[in-house]
Amino acid sequence: MTDRERRRGGKLGVGERRTVVAGLGVLAWIVGLLWIFPVAWTVFTSFKTEEDASAQTLHHGLSFGRYSDVSHATAGTLSLQTAFMNSLVVVVVSTLFVLALAIPAAYALAIRPIHKWRDVLFFFISTKFLPIVASIFPIYVYAQKWNLLGTRSVLIILYIAINLPLAVWMMRSFFMEVPRELIEAAEIDGTNLFNQLRSVILPIVAPGIAATALLCVIFAWNEYFYALQLNFANGSTMPQWVITNVSTRGNFLAKLSAASIIACLPVVLAGWAAQKRMIRGLSMGALK
Amino acid sequence: MNATAADVALPKGKAGDPFSSAWRRRLPLLPALLYLVAITQLPFIVSIYYGFTNLKDKTQSLIPEPTKFVGLENYKQIFSDSFFRQAVWTSVKMTVLAVLLSLIIGTLFAILLDRKFLGQGVIRTLLITPFLLMPVVAALIWKQQMFSSLFGVLNKVLDSLGFNSVAFISDHPLGSIVTVLVWQWTPFMMLIILAGLQSQPTDIIEAANVDGASALGIFRQLTLPHLRRYLELGALLGSIYIVQAFDAIDVMTGGGPGSTNVPYYVYQQSIGGGFRYGAASAYAIVVVIFAIIIATFALRVLSSLFRDEERA
Amino acid sequence: MHERRIGSVRSRGTLVAVLLIATAVIAASFAGAASGRSSAKTISVAVVANGQMQDIARLTPSLFTKKSGIKVKYTILDEGKLRQVTTRDVGSGGKAFDAVMIGPYEAPQFGTAGLLKDLTPLAKGDKTYNYNDLIPAVRNALSAKGHMYAAPFYGESSFLMYRKDILAKKGVKMPLHPTWQQVAAAARKIKTSSMAGICLRGKPGWGDLGAAFTTVLNTFGGTWWSAKPNGQPDKAQVDQPAFKEALDFYANLVQDAGEKDAANSSYNECLTQYQASKVAMWYDATVAAGFLEASDSPVKGKNGFAFAPVNKTKSSGWLWTWALAIPKSSKNPSDAWKYIAWATGPKYLKAAGPRVKGGWAAIPPGTRFSTYRIPQYKKAAKAFAGITLAAMKAAPITNPGTTKRPGLPGVQYVGIPQFQDVGNRCTQLFSAVIAGSMKSSAAISQCQQIASQAIR
Repeated sequence: MTDRERRRGGKLGVGERRTVVAGLGVLAWIVGLLWIFPVAWTVFTSFKTEEDASAQTLHHGLSFGRYSDVSHATAGTLSLQTAFMNSLVVVVVSTLFVLALAIPAAYALAIRPIHKWRDVLFFFISTKFLPIVASIFPIYVYAQKWNLLGTRSVLIILYIAINLPLAVWMMRSFFMEVPRELIEAAEIDGTNLFNQLRSVILPIVAPGIAATALLCVIFAWNEYFYALQLNFANGSTMPQWVITNVSTRGNFLAKLSAASIIACLPVVLAGWAAQKRMIRGLSMGALK
Repeated sequence: MNATAADVALPKGKAGDPFSSAWRRRLPLLPALLYLVAITQLPFIVSIYYGFTNLKDKTQSLIPEPTKFVGLENYKQIFSDSFFRQAVWTSVKMTVLAVLLSLIIGTLFAILLDRKFLGQGVIRTLLITPFLLMPVVAALIWKQQMFSSLFGVLNKVLDSLGFNSVAFISDHPLGSIVTVLVWQWTPFMMLIILAGLQSQPTDIIEAANVDGASALGIFRQLTLPHLRRYLELGALLGSIYIVQAFDAIDVMTGGGPGSTNVPYYVYQQSIGGGFRYGAASAYAIVVVIFAIIIATFALRVLSSLFRDEERA
Repeated sequence: MHERRIGSVRSRGTLVAVLLIATAVIAASFAGAASGRSSAKTISVAVVANGQMQDIARLTPSLFTKKSGIKVKYTILDEGKLRQVTTRDVGSGGKAFDAVMIGPYEAPQFGTAGLLKDLTPLAKGDKTYNYNDLIPAVRNALSAKGHMYAAPFYGESSFLMYRKDILAKKGVKMPLHPTWQQVAAAARKIKTSSMAGICLRGKPGWGDLGAAFTTVLNTFGGTWWSAKPNGQPDKAQVDQPAFKEALDFYANLVQDAGEKDAANSSYNECLTQYQASKVAMWYDATVAAGFLEASDSPVKGKNGFAFAPVNKTKSSGWLWTWALAIPKSSKNPSDAWKYIAWATGPKYLKAAGPRVKGGWAAIPPGTRFSTYRIPQYKKAAKAFAGITLAAMKAAPITNPGTTKRPGLPGVQYVGIPQFQDVGNRCTQLFSAVIAGSMKSSAAISQCQQIASQAIR
């Protein structure tokens, strides 16, 4: 707990009446539940039968039936297992590479900054100005030439490029937080870059790394456009798998709900687990 | 002045050239920089090239048309294209509305959550969740479950209250999309502002409290200025991502009137049905140029983000 | 300010754990990548997400792979995405697919442009395929200059489906060849607060609202573009009076007597509503009849069928088929043909009957005469088989309206490459008109602009 949390939690500040605090707590609960309602309703729907789902009734009870329906795919069509593995590999590998590239880059922009660090930062952000819907055709042409269509590698390559700007920006902010005295002490001791990183810097910015990694994972796991345009059948990722449950034969709302929950669950769980770290990372004076 | 470069061990394997301090500083940056240049600038340059041609998908002409150089023809057409202007206006509306609303609501949520109450962790966890969902899933949830005229929850509620059902997506395409965007991005803003609130030095607040300042006064005079950098960061990051919003439009309206933003319009020109890659590339280049201009201007204004203490 | 040092032991342990997991995943990814390469006996097929396609995807392992040893990888996409992916893949010589599912809009165009394999020699040379069994209207729609470029998987026209019981209750008679005015009057008469008079497509898309609307446009004497003598498009005709008349008629009918939230309704939504007895009539694809009369349909046996309503022309039903084609750049054309010959051959239809959900009435119709001679099919499809065949024969594909069309033949579309984009963007506007959020005159002037720009 931060100093602040400890103080907040224990005593009431001057001017905070107990009823006001309690009232605000209730308000927070109401707001939270309302905001999450669409998701909760989807979870509820995923346990219904299709007739109940489309009519918003509850005549046939609840079961895990839809979950098992979507988990079994016919041979030859995209299965949950394939899509899940593809997503997992793509996300983990691309995030690791992003961190591996962003950490040294942040060092060069924060600890021993280069002369033109502002321009470099601007360049990194500017790479996100080109709409990916525009760059897709040249990328498609080259991916085809180099036989990368339908592979995980092409997505890994692209996702690294998508997440790198944000990661560099964030890591630089966290690195700025490392006290100068520690750096100077390490340099006087004669440690090289790698050891500096390992023993001095990384332990301090670890929450920041976790926050950055989490954001990269979120954006990579949920990315839909590149995956759809460059990958078919076996290279497909989870977002595409969810869409395959939008059927044209009859109702599909319950199955779609079940598929959506399955697809979003990993990232949601990761986010829930890491949220404190993320806030701490962002509040580490990252933006001072 | 920092310890000089001589104290830092040279990377292995580098040949004898005197390693100036400047280059040693640049070295750690190079992998990321070179990677990004390679992956993002190559398509960009190719797009510039396409923008000067009449490149089309081969299926678009029954008699094979050779791709030829057409100079500034594509660019001339852009300026007489009223649909592009509509798309730009829609982009502006969509981005400004979504960013502002999510920032305001996110700040309110952050203020609400910045105290200890029963189940604080649970509520914060729940509030974060929309940001963690896939954009296509979020759009589908709202389209099928909430907004649907036939079976949607909102209409069922309106129905039970005695009102007519509203065809949200058909009648209010832009509003529907902004709703989904705000729903997803408010948690993100909330996290940033929460970080800002929790990094506020409490001693000043307590001093002000002791002096008898009102809660609102404290907020306006002390908290808000402190939050300024966080608000700006939220606005910047949010804008960069929201201006590229695509999935929600594709899923919910397919580009209905008033909901086609610039990325979706460019998509319609290229692989979304027009298959006019040359013309679409020209649009994209125009968009990038405008974006760079706007961003340069905006970052000068939001200079606090760049006004860091430099480490020499 | 750091309130506490990050517990170094704990964070180091986390770091190690993360690295181990990451290593495992990377190792698994290489193993996965190796097995992901397609072997010689695997083909990749892109199909549309319709019920019949999902049936055949399910039956492929048992009915095809077992006998031929060829594995089939399906990419199932909705119509819009499928078109984008296949157009781009075929048009840029991509090797992603060995067989793609296209329709009579794309097949002659792609074939003429030299992007598809000519299937005629393969089809004619295969006795079991029985080339002459294919319904000529369908076969010709997929051919250009006598070369068949795609093999039909199922075929359909459009007609009117209605609830005999509801109409009888209200004393409305529906002739076998109705006019649109008659249908509109009937719809307005039979509608109630809980049951709409008619379901008409309103969802944007040239294959959704575009298809239904264009048939109405044709029979009202309107058209999208006029034609030059050489078949190239001349001028956009959206601003002509006949176009506005057709659009106003369509939009008003839907607003007066049509389904709720029409602007979001296409085939699927109307099917659901018809089966839920929320609409009394439905103008759409003939293939819907198979679902309405399926063994598990709630409205089985209650349906009457009439030819597509007309106004100024003799017939107006559309002609569509989903067919399988082999891109010229495919890596396994001979295996692809083996698959296509099975999927579109007479044997599959006989085998599918007892195996698909919905029974015999739900097998792919409209491609072969032999289908209509199968006794079980005749029995299950008694109510609509005859009129379906007749509708397909009568589809005015070469002369759908009252004036000459540019491009290749087509009823519910114009056979030029630009139509896809124009149709998509204009139907967005028309859908807004149906929703009541745009005036038809505004939609028409914008659409005229789009249509004129496209053929510049």
